[in-house]
Amino acid sequence: MAVLEKLRKRGAGPAGTRDRCVADLVAALGAERVHNDGAARLLASTDASIFEGGVAGPVCFPDSTAQVQACVRIASAHHRPVVARGAGSGLTGAAAPLGEPVVVATTRMNRILEVDGANRVAWVQPGVINLDLSNHLSPMGLHFAPDPSSQPVCTIGGNVANNSGGPHCLALGVTSAHVLAIEVVLSDGRVVMLGGLDAEPSGYDLRGAFVGGEGMLGIATRVAVRLTPNPAAVRTLLLSFSDVESAAATVGAIIAAGLVPAALEMMDQQCVEAVEDFCHAGYPRDAAAVLLVEVDGMPGGVEAQAAKVEEIGRGHGAGIRVAADEQERQLLWKGRKSAFGAIARIKPDYYLHDTVVPRGRLVEVLQRIYEIVDRHGLLVLNVFHAGDGNLHPIIAYDSREEGMSEKVREAGREIISVSMEVGGVLSGEHGIGVEKRDFMPLMFSNTDLDHQARLKSAFDPVCMMNPGKVLPSPHSCADISELSRASGDVWG
Amino acid sequence: MDLGLDRDELDKCVQCALCLPHCPTFRVTGEDARSPRGRIGLMRAVQYHDAPLSDQVVESFDTCVQCRGCEPACPSGVRFGRLIEQTRETLVGAGHRPPAKLRFALAALDHHRALLAGSTALAVAQRAHLVPSGLGLPESLPLRRPTLEPSGGDVHLFTGCVMDAWQRDVHLAAKQVLEAMGVGVAPTGAAAPCCGALHQHAGMADKFRGMAAATVAAFDDDQPILVDSAGCGAAMKEYGNLLGTPAAAAFSARVFDIDEWIALRVDDLPHATPLEISVAVQDPCHLRHVQKVHESVRTVLRPFVRELVELDDDGLCCGAGGAFSIVQPELAGLIRDRKTESIVRADADLVASANPGCSLHLQQAGHEVAHPIQLVARALSGVGT
Amino acid sequence: MRRDPCSDPVLAAFAAEIGPSGPVTIKGGGTHWSVGGGPDPTARVVAAPEGIVKFQPSETTVEVRAGTKVTELHEVLAEHGQRTSLPEDPGSTVGGALALGWSGPARLGRGLTRDAVLQIRYVGSAGELVTAGGPTVKNVSGFDVCRLMIGSLGTLGCIADMILRTRPIPELEVWHSVFGIDPADVLQSCATAGSILWDGSCTWIMNAGYGVDVEHDLAVLAEISAKAGADRPAPADPPKLPPHRWSRRPSEALAMGPEDGSFVAEIGVGMVHVDHPVSPPPPDEGSVLVQRRVKQAFDPDSRFNPGRRVGGM
Repeated sequence: MAVLEKLRKRGAGPAGTRDRCVADLVAALGAERVHNDGAARLLASTDASIFEGGVAGPVCFPDSTAQVQACVRIASAHHRPVVARGAGSGLTGAAAPLGEPVVVATTRMNRILEVDGANRVAWVQPGVINLDLSNHLSPMGLHFAPDPSSQPVCTIGGNVANNSGGPHCLALGVTSAHVLAIEVVLSDGRVVMLGGLDAEPSGYDLRGAFVGGEGMLGIATRVAVRLTPNPAAVRTLLLSFSDVESAAATVGAIIAAGLVPAALEMMDQQCVEAVEDFCHAGYPRDAAAVLLVEVDGMPGGVEAQAAKVEEIGRGHGAGIRVAADEQERQLLWKGRKSAFGAIARIKPDYYLHDTVVPRGRLVEVLQRIYEIVDRHGLLVLNVFHAGDGNLHPIIAYDSREEGMSEKVREAGREIISVSMEVGGVLSGEHGIGVEKRDFMPLMFSNTDLDHQARLKSAFDPVCMMNPGKVLPSPHSCADISELSRASGDVWG
Repeated sequence: MDLGLDRDELDKCVQCALCLPHCPTFRVTGEDARSPRGRIGLMRAVQYHDAPLSDQVVESFDTCVQCRGCEPACPSGVRFGRLIEQTRETLVGAGHRPPAKLRFALAALDHHRALLAGSTALAVAQRAHLVPSGLGLPESLPLRRPTLEPSGGDVHLFTGCVMDAWQRDVHLAAKQVLEAMGVGVAPTGAAAPCCGALHQHAGMADKFRGMAAATVAAFDDDQPILVDSAGCGAAMKEYGNLLGTPAAAAFSARVFDIDEWIALRVDDLPHATPLEISVAVQDPCHLRHVQKVHESVRTVLRPFVRELVELDDDGLCCGAGGAFSIVQPELAGLIRDRKTESIVRADADLVASANPGCSLHLQQAGHEVAHPIQLVARALSGVGT
Repeated sequence: MRRDPCSDPVLAAFAAEIGPSGPVTIKGGGTHWSVGGGPDPTARVVAAPEGIVKFQPSETTVEVRAGTKVTELHEVLAEHGQRTSLPEDPGSTVGGALALGWSGPARLGRGLTRDAVLQIRYVGSAGELVTAGGPTVKNVSGFDVCRLMIGSLGTLGCIADMILRTRPIPELEVWHSVFGIDPADVLQSCATAGSILWDGSCTWIMNAGYGVDVEHDLAVLAEISAKAGADRPAPADPPKLPPHRWSRRPSEALAMGPEDGSFVAEIGVGMVHVDHPVSPPPPDEGSVLVQRRVKQAFDPDSRFNPGRRVGGM
């Protein structure tokens, strides 16, 4: 809530232009769709991350492409930036508005427009919730493959902006592989169609470039998503190990054996204990690490894969539990999915990290993470997508303790450095946003960042879409220090 | 302003947003200020940072249905119900009173005889077309109430306030089913006129405590107290925590939802030919999210109907919310529209709801709704469909 | 930590060869040399470096120079039971395959060419070496410049080196053909169908997967044939594909008929191989504008592959 203190200290800013912008928005959308009150603006100033520097301007709730277009045009006419907001479940501050922008909330654009089973494609508005879509499709035996942990709340528009992943992206790929076409409103208010429903749309792959653009390239107003048939059979196994090394080696051996499990998740002992205290899924408390392995496909192949996983596991000294039925499978997954809850009940705050390292370096990186948090006297739990090396160390803490937040951030910085040292990347699925913007030079040279800025400028030459994210100074087209000195008071 | 909220409870929320899809008001508005996370954000702003108690902030708190659907969804275990009740209590104490029509209605609830008489008068007026339709009343109030005589002392049947006035047929069905199980029933009637749940929701905490204490005092034996209204049952199970006395705790421990109690003795139910109908089960929020005994409705009902159909909206609130549909008719209507869509998709002959508020609210949208116990009674009487 | 690409002498030499000025065209296997219009003859022709830099089977990634032949890459990967989703046109290079961006006729099972790409190193218009994407199988760090390079026909930069995701080769892959069945039935009923090709009368099916599953689906296939009054499916080689591509929606591919000339359609995908050139529908106007801005931003002097244009430009 530092944001609020900051806001209250500030003056009212250039009220005249702000009011005219709001008046124009109200005229175009109607008063019911433009919320310029302190409550709406305060709540649109943050996402689910611990980042606190955002200050929202008027919050708009369009329900059509034309209304989004109107928002963008009016903002542009008043030289105000625009930030799109879905469920606000992002973890990097990517939707935290910098520079008091017009906020375009997509939550009322929540219609599934068309489901075309023959072509296995659905057109949806960006505010459709990921899990709602898959639930809607389930009678047809289809689903939308990306399944981030925020699946019950995150929106398809947010998935597109973040190129979201999830446990089942190991076999099926992240959002980019599941989006065929996107209707986008650009910063000049123009509506463009990127990609297409045919096999190989011509031209540069602007669709692919847009996915993962973190709202900085334009606002998606309609998305054509690829639908994936539900697997005929599925098998879930819980492998427990007496040391982390064997668990990590098993991950490598499973992949090297030519298996592509549907999901391959790992939890360390601290996490297992927390989960067991919380939900009693029957995980072995004494295990140094457990792997949750899911294989799917046709029944024969599933048998073969499960047998192979068991064999590899035993070879690495694993204790093995195979879910006998759907009920037991749900119980095993409940353990995995309850991890955040379990952690949240240990301490009031947590900082969830997201880096990817080569699978072969998992053990080493985990050890170094333990060292880092020990040095800072912090508590860490590891629950992550081991199959693709996507680490999610979670530091549990109490921000009310003096100096704690800074300590947690410092540990986070060190974890990022370690991941980069071993040839990893900054983010596997959360994105960069504000959180990792200033770490981008660890992964990319000035030249690389300059080329990323070129991509941005091709979509948004006037730099009004979600300024101040992803690209650090001096590669950002926005003046980041100016943006961070936000102007205005949400209660003004 | 100090809202009087428990700091540990308020700090538990990590803003993860997982509550949002389970919040009916967020679902229909898409606004953060109509979500549990948003409301907590505003509680913090007011309590910690002295944010102004603007109209929009108050409205954010006022528009909570108090369905508690966010609580099971919360990984951090935030007890949102307590936060919003405390917030409302503080606001009421600070002069933000509930709307006049609600206060007027609530004032009548613990005056049993007056309430029944008033309801009859309303029913007469309604037939003379003297009652405006926007009051949230049932379309056809009963002119006459069948009498509810005691048949023994094995269990108490809590009859409550509005329900006794408007839906006494549910009590009769409950009594009939219990008697068929060989259980003697003592209806509570005027001895315990109102549980106070609606007052609690409205932030009238002192009134609620008074009514809770009176209700506890009215039952000085050890018999189970069965409740056929999910909202009342949830409130009465809370008395122990609320009053903090051994008597109240003992009282709460013997409160059961009628379906919950029967489900534990389902073998005592006589066999009957199932009704030739498919029934969509609507879980009242205070049965599912608060009492967490909604499965028992299925256990009790399954042998007595052809088919049970589940709604596909993950237990989202119907918008009734006690008096919510009276004070926030527009939001309540939008929330009900969602429920209606789900009911239509379920394509059943009838909806079963174990809460009178939900039943009335859904009936007003043209759904045929019965209490599950009524369906069991109907099957036991062999009255067909 | 970030590796400076300039410290790689092979890449540094390639960048120096391209230099900061003058029209340049990069040539791979030359197997699709005329796509997008033939290159301007005045442009200097360069060839990308060759060779596999690092193959890590347990990481399912391979770093490879752009000038390496796809078939050579796949031979090495196959030693560890892996391959990529890139099509194996004889003679084509991995860099060429990415610049072209086409997926092969087995994409239904193997996935799209573009989805194999994790990282690309290319030489930009000032002769600078640029890294786009990242080395791990999962990565969402920064804007995805890789996507622009795939299918760009070398008009935005010269692809020098890349890291690709590899996939296990299925236990069993078999082709069968059968006349007179509805290919949509195969798509619907055979989860192991990794390719379904159809010329209006004959259907070719590649079943790929675990042996038991393939056997199961072959029985299903026989059933489909019997129901349609067709012969039993017989082992067959895949058909030769007509030379031109017509990118359509999956349902449109199923609706192809004799009036469309001779064709082979990829069922479930929508790509139709035809014997005559088909001009694509006019592209979305706004997207052409963005494409022009992309070209201007990455190659302001139009020095890369002059004469060739991606669709719609």
